[in-house]
Amino acid sequence: MGNLDQSSGKRSAMSRIVGFRDFGVVAAALLIAVFFSITSPVFLTAYNFFNLLRQTAALGIVAMAMTALIVAGEFDLSVGAIYAVTGVVTGLCTKSFGVNIWLSAIVGMSAALVLGLLNGLLVTMTRINSFIATLATQMVFRGIAMVLSQGQPVSDFDDNPFYAILGRKELFGLIPVPIFWLLGCGIVMFLVLHRTTFGVRVFASGDNRDAAELAGIRTVRVKRACFLLTAGAAGLAALISLGYLKTVTPTQGTNLELEAIAAAVIGGTAMSGGVGSIIGTFIGTFIMAEVRTGLILLGTDAYIQDAFVGLVIALAVIINVRVSSRKQ
Amino acid sequence: MESGIILSIRSISKRFGGVKALDAVSFDVGRGLILGLAGENGAGKSTLIKILCGVHQPDSGVMELEGRTFRPRGPEDAERSGICVFHQEIPVCPDLSIAANVFLGPAMPHRGLRPDWARMKAECRRLYQDLLGEAIDPDRLIRDCSAAETQLALLVRVLSRNAALVVLDEPTTALTPPEVDRLFVILRRLRDRGVTFIFVSHMLEELAALSDRIVVLRDGAVAGAMEQAEFDARRLSSMIAGREVASSRRAAARERGEVVLEARGLGDGRNFSEVSFALARGGILGIAGLAGSGRPDLARALFGAPPARSGCLVVDGAARTIGCPADAIALGIGFVPEDRNAQGIFHSLDVKRNVCMAGLDRFSGGRLLREGRLRSAARAAAVQVQVKMSGPDAPVNSLSGGNQQKVLIARWLALRPRIIVLNEPTRGVDVGAKQEILDLILRLSAEGCSFVVASSEIEELLVLSDTILVMNRGRAAAILSGDGATKEGVLLAATT
Repeated sequence: MGNLDQSSGKRSAMSRIVGFRDFGVVAAALLIAVFFSITSPVFLTAYNFFNLLRQTAALGIVAMAMTALIVAGEFDLSVGAIYAVTGVVTGLCTKSFGVNIWLSAIVGMSAALVLGLLNGLLVTMTRINSFIATLATQMVFRGIAMVLSQGQPVSDFDDNPFYAILGRKELFGLIPVPIFWLLGCGIVMFLVLHRTTFGVRVFASGDNRDAAELAGIRTVRVKRACFLLTAGAAGLAALISLGYLKTVTPTQGTNLELEAIAAAVIGGTAMSGGVGSIIGTFIGTFIMAEVRTGLILLGTDAYIQDAFVGLVIALAVIINVRVSSRKQ
Repeated sequence: MESGIILSIRSISKRFGGVKALDAVSFDVGRGLILGLAGENGAGKSTLIKILCGVHQPDSGVMELEGRTFRPRGPEDAERSGICVFHQEIPVCPDLSIAANVFLGPAMPHRGLRPDWARMKAECRRLYQDLLGEAIDPDRLIRDCSAAETQLALLVRVLSRNAALVVLDEPTTALTPPEVDRLFVILRRLRDRGVTFIFVSHMLEELAALSDRIVVLRDGAVAGAMEQAEFDARRLSSMIAGREVASSRRAAARERGEVVLEARGLGDGRNFSEVSFALARGGILGIAGLAGSGRPDLARALFGAPPARSGCLVVDGAARTIGCPADAIALGIGFVPEDRNAQGIFHSLDVKRNVCMAGLDRFSGGRLLREGRLRSAARAAAVQVQVKMSGPDAPVNSLSGGNQQKVLIARWLALRPRIIVLNEPTRGVDVGAKQEILDLILRLSAEGCSFVVASSEIEELLVLSDTILVMNRGRAAAILSGDGATKEGVLLAATT
């Protein structure tokens, strides 16, 4: 009986983790792909597929890290601003002070991590709702990016392999390098959240904070780590964008935080914490990119695209609520 | 002329499933008197109150109010008939004024679509002056009021609706002694003006001080009644407790191991102070006490959640600082909280994660998550406490309340702790699971694990403990063991 129990337990775990939990969002992504493939002949081409993923790399990296933070029961509305600060700091370092771009990138990344640390300290020490706290820091951080750059874009950088490695190279002459960064981050984030004991603590902290404390989990540390992770992801995303565009602006990443949260929600992350998955968010990001690209290929008015993405979000949330209430 | 009896209860019975909550309860409530209603938890007091205000319908029996058959269909119906229940959980709006809270409801004075604040304030002042003999500021927010002032506002709200009979369900638990005295003065004054009260309390002193007559419920039946003149604390507590159930007592004679946990002058600066005790290996220390006695707070302090502020804890002969749960866990102490849903269970996770949560790295053998190892650790612990589940991968929400409680005990057993602190170990579990949990604690203590059990159920403590620490208003009122640990003794120490 014990053996039987074990094998069925294993199978159900497999099906729950890989298949069942994210089944809905994967099916939705496929359905949307089928729809656009039929309506537009160029949608189902390798070029379009890779281009779509490249465009969404920065958002995907941020959204997956944000998923861990939301699962832990917190939000970060300042990721877009951190994304801008990282870009501006890195750009100015190399442009105005002539620092090597690699060193500048390290400085920019450090700035991102410091801002993430600030967010984490602010939220955990004052116990202010993270929505409010990071709404405030969003404005502060965006202000820092504006002041440092005096509101001007920074561009015309010297040549360096940095730009190719972070954003411009196309491996095998076809696959843009940001896709590898996206997949790499995805694998790392998946392992951190779903394959480490730290990940279990993240879920526990967001599911039931009091219970987590009483189980000896220092939820403050868990949350700070998630804030750091999210800010680090925003920093990396900014460097990838810098590598591809070879320019930074202090207004870049506006609304990035909302798109990241939207991707997480489409992927089935619960706003109340304790529920979410990296695969789900990855597909959620993909769906948003799919809808945007598909609409462009259909020749729809650019102004209507956001409205469609909004509808997709609403639909995803309705389906999620239905499915999770049926499970209970 | 009206008769001297306002409410008459005749052979009221009520069953919940297989449990007989009330069994042919009969008594009369005299007009313009304060009737004290006593009884331990589960004696049927709250069921009776809920029948009075129409939340439950009796299975049999009748009630007569003012000589007419009284069968309330719900709280509004009871209120229309003049019966109001006043308990701790009445919702208030903390950000509204006293006046607004007094008049909140469909009958709120209004002028057109706007509330008539001027009239409400004036009316509120008049009611306070008239009913309580006090002047108040009706503009003050409930948020800024003390617990006692909030209660008075609710009392005024109830009385302003012309209640003839007011049921006071444990009205003093949140009050300080001077506030209790003040409330009693007001209640006596209202009684003298013709309002009838049924006063439910755990505190024998309060019952004696306020009541004109006391009715005692035990196991769903009237165990006796007592007029004010013949009141006697010892007789009353034995009436409440009933006869001893000797068979279920654990064997008193047990060899004592060395002391594993000792508290010296422990206090948290708020809920309890100067508490000292010693717990031997394999021993079970019960903590008894009423609401507000500091019982759960003391239990939590042993686990550092939140830690004690004064005094010291000695674990295995060495003074230790337990500043947070992680410290306690490192010393081999486990803790099962009183509120399983809010403080124990992770509802979105599976059984194995719930069981292994307090020692993830240990069970997983490092920081990488090895589900297989968690699964076998969880299964081993779950077998020990006999959790009924489809497997360690089942969602914890698929388990019954009793089994979730066992999961929480399994969480600590899996760590092989030396001491487990349990706060209300059988709250919200059915009778069968309750017995299993008690047996489990006794078995584990025989195997050398020590327990601290804080519980509001005295029977449970008598079955389990070799020593019972009785808390009363934040102090250790008595430490009872052996033949001294009787229900009467515990009740007496807890209530006087």
